[in-house]
Amino acid sequence: MIKITNLEKFYRTEEVETIALNKLSMHVDTGEFVAIMGPSGCGKSTLLNILGMLDDPDEGSYVFNDIEVAHFTERKRADLRKHNIGFVFQSFNLIDELTVFENVELPLIYTGVPSAERVKRVEEVLDKMQIMHRRNHYPQQLSGGQQQRVAIARAVVNKPKLILADEPTGNLDSSNGNDVMELLTDLNEQGTTIIMVTHSEHDARYSHRIIRLLDGQTVMENIMI
Amino acid sequence: MIKNYFKIAFRNLWRHKSFSLINIIGLAVGMTACFLIFMYVRFELSYDKFNENFDHVYRLNTDIKSPNEVLHWGSASAPMGPALKADYPQVKEFARVFGYSYLIESNNHKFQENNISFADPAIFKIFTLPFVQGNPATALNAPFSIVMTETSAKKYFGNGNAIGKSVLLDGKIPATITGVMKDVPDNSHISFDMLISESTMEKKKMIDPTEWGNFSNYTYLLLDKSADVNKLQAQLPAFLIKHISEDKRRKGYNYDLFLGPLSGVYMDAVRGAPVNGSISNVYIFSVVAIFILVIACINFINLTTARASERAKEVGIRKVIGAAKSQLTKQFLGESIIICIISFLFAVLLSLLFLPMFNQLSGKTISDNVFSHGYILILFFTAIAIGFIAGIYPALVLTSFSITSVLKGRFSNSVKGIVLRRGLVVVQFTVSIVLIVGTIVVYNQLNYMRNQSLGFNKDQMMVLDFSGDSAVETRAESIKYELKQIPGVLSASASSSTPGNGNPIAYTQVEGKSGAMESLNANLYDVDYDFIPQYGIQVLAGRTFSTDYPTDSTKSFVINEATLQNLGYTSPNQAIGKHFLQWGRDGKIIGVIKNFHFASLQQTIKPLALRINPHNTNVFTVKIAGGNIPATIASIQNKWKSLVPERPFSYTFLDENFNKQYKGEETFGMLFLYFAVLAIFISCLGLLGLASYSTLQRTREIGIRKVLGASVPVIVNMLSKEFLQLVLIAALIAFPLAWWGMHTWLQDFAYQINIGWWIFVVAGLLAFMIAITTVSFQAIRAALANPVKSLRSE
Ligand SMILES: Nc1ncnc2c1ncn2[C@@H]1O[C@H](COP(=O)(O)OP(=O)(O)OP(=O)(O)O)[C@@H](O)[C@H]1O
Ligand SMILES: [Mg+2]
Repeated sequence: MIKITNLEKFYRTEEVETIALNKLSMHVDTGEFVAIMGPSGCGKSTLLNILGMLDDPDEGSYVFNDIEVAHFTERKRADLRKHNIGFVFQSFNLIDELTVFENVELPLIYTGVPSAERVKRVEEVLDKMQIMHRRNHYPQQLSGGQQQRVAIARAVVNKPKLILADEPTGNLDSSNGNDVMELLTDLNEQGTTIIMVTHSEHDARYSHRIIRLLDGQTVMENIMI
Repeated sequence: MIKNYFKIAFRNLWRHKSFSLINIIGLAVGMTACFLIFMYVRFELSYDKFNENFDHVYRLNTDIKSPNEVLHWGSASAPMGPALKADYPQVKEFARVFGYSYLIESNNHKFQENNISFADPAIFKIFTLPFVQGNPATALNAPFSIVMTETSAKKYFGNGNAIGKSVLLDGKIPATITGVMKDVPDNSHISFDMLISESTMEKKKMIDPTEWGNFSNYTYLLLDKSADVNKLQAQLPAFLIKHISEDKRRKGYNYDLFLGPLSGVYMDAVRGAPVNGSISNVYIFSVVAIFILVIACINFINLTTARASERAKEVGIRKVIGAAKSQLTKQFLGESIIICIISFLFAVLLSLLFLPMFNQLSGKTISDNVFSHGYILILFFTAIAIGFIAGIYPALVLTSFSITSVLKGRFSNSVKGIVLRRGLVVVQFTVSIVLIVGTIVVYNQLNYMRNQSLGFNKDQMMVLDFSGDSAVETRAESIKYELKQIPGVLSASASSSTPGNGNPIAYTQVEGKSGAMESLNANLYDVDYDFIPQYGIQVLAGRTFSTDYPTDSTKSFVINEATLQNLGYTSPNQAIGKHFLQWGRDGKIIGVIKNFHFASLQQTIKPLALRINPHNTNVFTVKIAGGNIPATIASIQNKWKSLVPERPFSYTFLDENFNKQYKGEETFGMLFLYFAVLAIFISCLGLLGLASYSTLQRTREIGIRKVLGASVPVIVNMLSKEFLQLVLIAALIAFPLAWWGMHTWLQDFAYQINIGWWIFVVAGLLAFMIAITTVSFQAIRAALANPVKSLRSE
């Protein structure tokens, strides 16, 4: 599904140039659950953003589903993204002005799903995440674990082939964190490819494979049994 | 999708109530000002357009040339219209209009009518003045025929039939109502309450229809639709040569004629019109309206972009989820359009509320209804356009954020954005300060004109109007004597006019220094022996009129300094005894008086001749003592009722009367003041928003500084400084602009104030104080807050 070769990403500020990704190569197959680990600042989020087409690389190739997307325009990336990729963030990133239901509905609106179909699908996924009873609440009225479940609901409502999660349990206590990991595992078992950045060895154990980064380079890959 | 946009837009507005309120109030007030001005401008530009022949009607204008000057007049002489029609087939109709006033009596109703015109029958063919009763084709044919407007007819005859009824003019001339017409529209440059047939004047020998040199009437021509105006215009010099003999032309009958299109008459600032508009006022207020709207739009742009970082997260998330940039742009544009539509609704309410006041202020019904003429629709689309224009920049700013940095929370307001906002604040305050300076200058000029010494006594002078009624005129001396018997009445005089009320201008010949007769146009006052002493006009040389000299009533002239200068005399004494010819009177100059202002201070003092003529007086001037003025007025009224029972008692005070000339300027000043207040109000709203936002953003910094020991004044100073600097810059830009603008405006006044430096100091300080109050309110609140609170909230 994903194949990157010699990917490079630089950040230039007035004085220093940071190499966030340094000739990084890796691949992820359809149906895999991959964890990315590494010390703070090693380039994990940068990699995830590029994989999610939120950002573009400076050098190298990124093939997504047999299409070279490294130098796609923003418009094309946005189009590809909204049909194929769901995101889960450490800080949930829900829109405060919208209710739970409306937050989850939003991706369907942007992909042009008709209204009746939207209601059906949102209710379905809220049910699955066990937050149906909170559908008319606003994000501030929910606990962290509930918010992250809403965020996951929003990420999967469009039935994406790939879910990118950046420290999804980072702001949660261990019980809520485990719930989230269970949800992701379920999704993976139903066929969704998942790439997750995490600092937690415990969480990483849910994955099939761990990719370890250091200074923007792969240093090790562990296959989980 | 649209529903979602609206939903989030309304929630956003509601959540940030104070920002929404600032935007909506500012935009609503700006739109209201703009709307009212728009209606005013539209009304001003609509003058005379109701006439079906609008494009084919011309006014015959005259330039009257004398050796020293050219007078540009909008009037013509009586024979010109008929002669043009006779000579040129393309002149299809002519109508002459003479303004007049009569005491009109009917049915025991008696009113002094000052808005009467004599007119030729064709006036109804030239102008669109529909009849309610009677036949417009014949109504003004016979002498002593009157056509009344509906309102006038109602005044005399109630709801009954008016046609065929008779009235008495000045208590002795019978005349018949031959038609009732609809009231003349407000946006007509000719205006009258009733028309009397022109043939009446000829019958009563009030005009000489063969006199080419008496420019006493307006002449309107209806040209054939296919006529070439330029061609006709080119033939007019030959027309004059044909009709005015060489001999007369040499004697000073020296004119040029011009065909002035009806479209330009109302706004003709040089030649004037019975109802006269000002195109420069139209321009000035249009610019002011646009400025006020720009100021309100700037508030919107500034507050929205200042708040951008708050909304950055939402933008980032939407982008991640799959929103295209164009969708987000639409969303934000939608929000600004919603704000504008809400503002529009408020603007409609405010306009409804203020339209009557605005009508009253402008002295006419510019619109009786906000909903007429599709005005509302125009405003609505303007509101949407404003939403679009003001919303497009913030929308582009908001949607251009890079997702990754926004989600990381790295987003901060860009330097470019801050510079832009500051620039826009400078623009707002520049406009406001220009308007403040303008207001001060206008009021100063008005004040100056009101308080300038006019060269005559204007205090406690009552003017009693008898409209030249000959029955009063013949008893003038005895009436004056009787009035003077009243305790509290100090003196009385009779004259043809009083300062500020207009007077005829007479073709005059005077013996020049070389001994030859020189011609000039002199203003003319017919007075009695008491006029000059009562008005306290200073005599520079010779003497004033006296009953001791029998020839004074027929052969003596008193002239003013301006006449002297016009003739080239260097000392007043040189003019005494010089030969003087004017309107059939042949005599000598017996005295020279100091210049006094018989016209508005907008004009320089022109040549003036005074002569004794008890047969052409219109008013008594009565000087009263300062004591119990109401009692004195009551006694005068009683006396008047017994002396002149046939005439209404109508009086004014000379100073008020004179200052009435500045009514236009007063209205202008008042409107200017209101709009300046509005501009500064909206600017300050924006400043308040920006200041509160910037202090909000710096709450944490303020907390840290306070913990580290900063005092309240230090923090207030820190927070206020950046905004006050902007006001300072605005002042520096505004001063030269305001000076130039007001200097140009003052050029319309012959007697004008100097724009002193103090005006700029006052305007600058005023803007500065208002800005300080606005900003420091926020700053003090922030500085007084408990630092522990603000630090914990992170
Ligand atoms: N917008 C940016 N401008 C400059 N440097 C950046 C920017 N974003 C990231 N970097 C740098 O790139 C490197 C990688 O950053 P990245 O956010 O990918 O790290 P990370 O592995 O996700 O760290 P963490 O575990 O702390 O989230 C870091 O050295 C960081 O300082
Ligand atoms: Mg990271």
